[in-house]
Amino acid sequence: MGIFKRLIDFVTLGSARPMRRLLAYYAVLAIVVYLIYRFIPAADRLMSAEGERGTMAKASQAGAKLFQDGLNTAPTTLFAPGRQNRAEHAMATLLVFFSTLALMLPVSWVYMSARRDRTHNQSVAQTLIVLPMIVAGVILIVRDSLALAFSLAGVVAAVRFRTSLSDARDVVFIFLAIAVGFAAGTQVLSVAAIVSLLFNFVLVLIWQYDFGRNVLEPTAAAQWESPLKELTGKTIEGPNVPDRDLMLALTPKKVDILTARFKRVQALVGRNGAKPRYNAVLSVSTNSISESKGHIESVLDRVAKRWKLDEVVTNTEKASELFYLVRLKKAVAKGDALTAIREHAGTLFEAVDLEVGEAVEQEQLAEKSLRKQREKALIQ
Amino acid sequence: MMRGSAWGIVTFVGVVSVLVACDQTASAHDDKKSESPDAATLAERARQFEKQLAAPDSESKLGGAVARWIMPDKLKEISGLTLTADGRLLGHGDQHAHVFELDYRRGVLVKEFTLVSGGEPVKGDFEGITTANGSIFLFTSDGKLYEFKEGADGAKLAYTMTDTHLGEHCEFEGVAFDKTINSLLFACKKVKDKKDKEFLVMYRWKLGDESASRVSKLTVPMEDVIGKNEWDGFHSSDITINPFNGDYVLVASRESALLEITPGGKVVFSQPLPGVHAQAEGIVITKDSLLIIGDEAAAKNAKPDLHPHRVPDDSVHRPAYVTVYRWP
Repeated sequence: MGIFKRLIDFVTLGSARPMRRLLAYYAVLAIVVYLIYRFIPAADRLMSAEGERGTMAKASQAGAKLFQDGLNTAPTTLFAPGRQNRAEHAMATLLVFFSTLALMLPVSWVYMSARRDRTHNQSVAQTLIVLPMIVAGVILIVRDSLALAFSLAGVVAAVRFRTSLSDARDVVFIFLAIAVGFAAGTQVLSVAAIVSLLFNFVLVLIWQYDFGRNVLEPTAAAQWESPLKELTGKTIEGPNVPDRDLMLALTPKKVDILTARFKRVQALVGRNGAKPRYNAVLSVSTNSISESKGHIESVLDRVAKRWKLDEVVTNTEKASELFYLVRLKKAVAKGDALTAIREHAGTLFEAVDLEVGEAVEQEQLAEKSLRKQREKALIQ
Repeated sequence: MMRGSAWGIVTFVGVVSVLVACDQTASAHDDKKSESPDAATLAERARQFEKQLAAPDSESKLGGAVARWIMPDKLKEISGLTLTADGRLLGHGDQHAHVFELDYRRGVLVKEFTLVSGGEPVKGDFEGITTANGSIFLFTSDGKLYEFKEGADGAKLAYTMTDTHLGEHCEFEGVAFDKTINSLLFACKKVKDKKDKEFLVMYRWKLGDESASRVSKLTVPMEDVIGKNEWDGFHSSDITINPFNGDYVLVASRESALLEITPGGKVVFSQPLPGVHAQAEGIVITKDSLLIIGDEAAAKNAKPDLHPHRVPDDSVHRPAYVTVYRWP
């Protein structure tokens, strides 16, 4: 495993990005498979269903000019049922198992890493590795025997499986494990490979971009976007809420408080025309504040251009919360930063979230659009 | 997002390409093995054939077989067999008018050609093939006769089709040429006329005769055909001529049986086929005393007792094959 990890590090140039590491893993795997096919032709026969059915199916392939000798060489299942090549059988089974393992390892990594909640279920992670092997083994035995299939159904019916999974996502992972096991058991490894690859790819993307977030519960940035826009003006040129209305709504005390507050915000956001000093908020729930701080800050030193501990909320009966103001480095994506923090701290955190503000980008877009409209009006 | 997606797409395409490359590599290995029979292999096979032919019966396998060649997938519906005037073996497919030449001594597909109509292979329920007077005839179960000349490898051939209108009397499954009477013989698998139910029926079709008398019928009492065998009938699946005495030799797939009758309709013998045959659909006897039987790939109706631990599901498990025996 160490060699494989080093190889992936080499391919990804040491990148910690989960997507790159996953893709590197599949690329290395694909190359290994190609080399096996290229230099060990027998592997093709063993990896397909032909190994079990003897050489008859080989001869059945279209395009053969030289017929198979059914008298002197064929271990024909027609005349000698049960006389299959045991060594080939064993090799094919081993290959199926190794392939299943190779395809399920990245799935288990994704299962363990790509999640927002506190910790993963270790038994599910282990099941993801073992279950498809068992399914593949069962399918290899049952194959196309109706009698064995019925027997299997009977045996399975006699055993009660009553493990309930708390997370719906865990069920999806289990389904995937069964699918890969089925594909491997029927020796359609190409399908197993594509299923594994696409599943991981989609899952990492979903996790990275926080797909499915409740749009009715907007982020802090989005929550304040609308009223602030009303105050500052949609077109940036002038406020939509006139000063006289604010004068009626505010007292001198409240104005003082707001002035002081906006000065603090200005210090965080930066001057007009410059890039914002901070553009993201990292929130971490943890039971060990000092230890967590060490982990977080050492990672932030790597992934952030600048950062600042904004607030520590200490709770007695639940996890305490740490809030950091962060300006991420340009080359670091949100998902990568989160992964780095999680990896560094292990199971120390209850929850980690990174909320990235996009106000500057939106303002720039609005200005650009306004400029275009003006230019268009001038031309007309 | 875009960058991640691009990476993903590139890798996905890469992995699929590798899978395709693996497939092509494997195919290339197969092609190397199957498409280019080298001289040494062919010589070895010919030697093995002669050795098997010379071996005493006690040493032969599969009920005395001299050779058995397993057909590739494209020939899985091998139906009828016939010999050309110079002794080459021809076979044909069941669903398409696809004819191929087989080297039965070395197990090689020599060539193949197809009858086409409007650029497309002719479809039909082809059940028999024979050669007569320099032409090849394909015969369908409903009595249509396709006449054409032998083609080169890969040729697409034109043909002449004649409807014998005998399909209303019989479901046919076999054709042979009796040169002594210059007639084609059509073996009837299932009679439609009630009065013929107790007979084995064959029709003669005189070539070069346009008169109404060109068709004649030969009937043999079924009880004579069955003899001491425990069959419930005899459903012919092909017919050939015994080159040594001119008798008619018929094979029945359902009964896995062999029958020889004289041109006059007297039964010479009726017996089970040698060896085991899942679906014997073609028969010929060569001038050098070889009986060749062609078996179509056995499908769902194959006998499960031949493969007791599995339920047969498709033809891949039981490929078509051509078996060579000594004759008599």
